[in-house]
Amino acid sequence: MSSFSRSAQQWATFARSWFLIDARQQPPGRLATMCSVRLQGKHKPIYHALSDCGDHVVLINTKHIAFSGNKWEQKVYSSHTQYPGGFKQVTAAQLHHKDPKAIVKLAVYGMLPRNLQRRTMMQRLHIFADDELPDDIRANLTEELQQPRKIPRKLSEYTQEEMDAFPRLWTPHEDYKMK
Amino acid sequence: MVFLTLSCWIRSRGPDRYWKVQDVLKHARHFRGRKNRCYSLAVRAVRRAFVYATTGRRLKKRNMRTLWITRIAAASREHGMKYPALMHNLTKTSVQLNRRVICDLAVTEPRSFLSLAKLARARQQEGFRAALGDGKEPAGVFSRVVLLQ
Repeated sequence: MSSFSRSAQQWATFARSWFLIDARQQPPGRLATMCSVRLQGKHKPIYHALSDCGDHVVLINTKHIAFSGNKWEQKVYSSHTQYPGGFKQVTAAQLHHKDPKAIVKLAVYGMLPRNLQRRTMMQRLHIFADDELPDDIRANLTEELQQPRKIPRKLSEYTQEEMDAFPRLWTPHEDYKMK
Repeated sequence: MVFLTLSCWIRSRGPDRYWKVQDVLKHARHFRGRKNRCYSLAVRAVRRAFVYATTGRRLKKRNMRTLWITRIAAASREHGMKYPALMHNLTKTSVQLNRRVICDLAVTEPRSFLSLAKLARARQQEGFRAALGDGKEPAGVFSRVVLLQ
């Protein structure tokens, strides 16, 4: 290390910040990457695995996460109750219907290191199914993080002028019957 | 005249076996369980510990380098650069700082690190321009093209 100490300048170095992430229309895996980096403190130059420098992350709108492809039907979450015949399998859609927080939580949990700090880090992750936050958490928030995915606009959000100006691959003939 | 020291020495010399045991137990005093006081258990544990220490000396270098890389990656992301891009462009600009020093700068001198990141960013942009065939100089950098003229 450097030969001189800057300990007097380090008062707030280990202060925890609270990040807010809006999960609306976002892929859970990319959300989980952002969360796990910040929960571990790997976004800070002072990072050390033993120094417990992770931050809090508040995830809102997890009810509205978006899987790509056909993961809602094909992605399977398996568990075993340890009883004979206790092997449970639910699809992502079923799990999300039962608990809208579960998918993101499992994704983050799987991305954290498998050590004794894992449960502690999970306690610093606050997940909310919709956008209503309790006041004590809202008061702590320091920064809102940018969403990993740009939300695509729906057809209903385009105005008529934009739809007319949109480039067309081909112009239908006058006689063409739209289905 | 009374020689107290000499007599103390004489009294404290025990049998040779006692000192042999102490030589081993000396390294095992912080171990857990009966290993820290029973010779026959301690001697095995100490031998194992020395083997671990030998491998640990190699592993330490590896782990430290991993830690420096993690820290530099965190600091460079603060300035909107990825770690591989930063290191690659610093090499291209002939900055001969190793990862330990860059990590020290990132922790203790954030502004020096910021200037390094800016340098790497400028080199990256220069590379992009060259690849696109634009041929213009990056602003605010005394580059090699100016030196040639």
